[in-house]
Amino acid sequence: MTNHFENLSIDPNELPSLEEVNFKPIDPNYLKVSLISSALFFVVLIGAAIAIIELSDFEEKMNGYLISMGAILLFSVANIILTILGFKKKKYALRQRDIIYTKGLIWSVRTTVPFNRIQHAELKQGPIERLYKINSLKLFTAGGQSSDLVIPGLPDNEALSMKDFVLKKTEEDGAEQS
Amino acid sequence: MEQNNHDFSIPQRQPSVAIGIILIKFFRMTVKAMWPILLSLVIGRRAGSTFDDIILYVVIGFAVYNLLGSILTYFRFYYYIKDNAIVLDKGVLKKTRTNIPFERIQTINFSQNLLHQLFNVVSVEIDSAGANKSEISIDALRKNEAIALRDYIMAEKKQLIEESGTEEEKTISADKNPSDLLLHLKPGDLIKVGVSQNHLRSMGIIFAFVFTTINEITDNISDFIADQLGQYESYVVDNTLFAFVASVVLVTVISFLFSLVNSILKYYDLKLWLSNNGLKLVRGLLNREEVTINKNKVQMVSWSTNPIRKIFKMYTLQIAQASSSEVNAQKSKINVPGSYKHQISKVINMVFPSEYLGAEAKHFISPLIKLRIILFYGLIPSALGLSTWFLIGEAAFYFLLILPLSFFLGRAYYKKRSYEINEELIRSNSGIVGTENVLTQIHKVQAVRVKQSWYQRRKQLATIKVYTAAGELSIPFISLSEALQLESFILYRIQTDKREWM
Repeated sequence: MTNHFENLSIDPNELPSLEEVNFKPIDPNYLKVSLISSALFFVVLIGAAIAIIELSDFEEKMNGYLISMGAILLFSVANIILTILGFKKKKYALRQRDIIYTKGLIWSVRTTVPFNRIQHAELKQGPIERLYKINSLKLFTAGGQSSDLVIPGLPDNEALSMKDFVLKKTEEDGAEQS
Repeated sequence: MEQNNHDFSIPQRQPSVAIGIILIKFFRMTVKAMWPILLSLVIGRRAGSTFDDIILYVVIGFAVYNLLGSILTYFRFYYYIKDNAIVLDKGVLKKTRTNIPFERIQTINFSQNLLHQLFNVVSVEIDSAGANKSEISIDALRKNEAIALRDYIMAEKKQLIEESGTEEEKTISADKNPSDLLLHLKPGDLIKVGVSQNHLRSMGIIFAFVFTTINEITDNISDFIADQLGQYESYVVDNTLFAFVASVVLVTVISFLFSLVNSILKYYDLKLWLSNNGLKLVRGLLNREEVTINKNKVQMVSWSTNPIRKIFKMYTLQIAQASSSEVNAQKSKINVPGSYKHQISKVINMVFPSEYLGAEAKHFISPLIKLRIILFYGLIPSALGLSTWFLIGEAAFYFLLILPLSFFLGRAYYKKRSYEINEELIRSNSGIVGTENVLTQIHKVQAVRVKQSWYQRRKQLATIKVYTAAGELSIPFISLSEALQLESFILYRIQTDKREWM
């Protein structure tokens, strides 16, 4: 690869590239969790549609059902396909000095946060996630909400050790700072 | 020293003028929350229905509540200094004690509204590093007392840090060194700033205000407008062109005056000082505010101009500093309109290491961005516009004018979009009719993000975004290899830089 930036003291090609990092996929249970929560969402949506049609004085209820259920079916199928395909794109990696998370099927996004910039870390677990014993690791930076990193789908024990690892790293790298 | 005249260790109330200031604060809060009711009361009085009498009592009730509330708030509010911390006791029903140690205090800012200026008092805002509730304020203090308090706290803080702190922390504490006046917005320059404001934005604000107001009063806007215009109808039909031109002129004049008055109120007698450790800014006519900016807390400096301002050779300087909480994000960005080039370079030279400020090679982005702009701002909107053909008939063809417009938009955007990078700094240049430049130090970046859309993946392009504690900087549509090199380099610089980023 040619170096685009001749004025820098170090050739960026000599730095460890993020492309060669071994990314780890997140726990397959996360796929089940996201499918269940979107199924719940569609059940609620169908309920709402039925309620609206039954309570209003539509002339032709059959048409109402056909249109609304058709639309919901279309959305749910699209949602399921995107969730399944998108799941494969959710991967993370821990390097010596930073943590990386990638996601996105159509718009792929890769976020990297150096350990010496992490403010604090917390684990989050919703009710469905609890059933499958998985967690989300949330890393806060000073860059505000838009740059906070959330890694979902981490099994209980792994999530805990990862949080401890990140906090230890943050402390070490931060201590060097001042 | 003046300090001897003020003993801060005993709990004190604010000067009694604070009652009035608190009352007005309460009153403004109430009016802000209830103005539609008040307005309907004024309008409804003429109709004379009994329901309005009830509302009247409610309003009187609120007025009494405000008065009692402000008096009680005043009598229950004490401030004092104890064990190297400032303590505030307050609360009418629930007593609270806030205790902020000097080391955690970041800045102490003053502001004055008209009433403050009349009685020579200031309201004091103490910003501390910490989680959510990081800002406390005192509604009114006598000016000399406030200054003495600030000097005292800052001196004590400096001493505390010198006793225990590291070398780097020492520079953080506020200094009392003589500072230079860098910029003073004289009346002539102030008028120039007002004239060169973004009048389109003022127009938008006025329209939004008018429509929400009408919406609050009447349920049906179209009925309201039809009512109001009904009597002019025959006149309007005969003079459509005249009416159109007249209303355009009227709206333009109102927007112009609005932004002119707005900038005079906001930027009147603006002064910017430079000192060893940071910047100090004072501005405003009715509401006079004083802001101190610590050099180390500055995360980004940007400067922008628009075509009118360019004629005056003026720029708007914006200094963004790290804020302690999400809510204050907007507040931590300080705008200085009407700065000249040499003043901006002085500020940048002070905030960022000057040895890295030389000219660097400009890297341009991929011309494919023009296609994207034409697609999103030209093709899609005009297609949507055309699809209204069955509603508005042939007038829909006017939407095709968006296409050439988006073409020029894309060309102008592409021409000005570029970035520069060296060991220490990264700078982005952009603009369509004006220009905007953003500069930040690489080690102040908190996170790096590389994004690719489906289209960008096919063309081996990427968008890179870096996040600082006071805003983000993004470079769209560069080649993937370039983005990856930037990503590696920025990460390497963050991880090896041992300096404090705040």
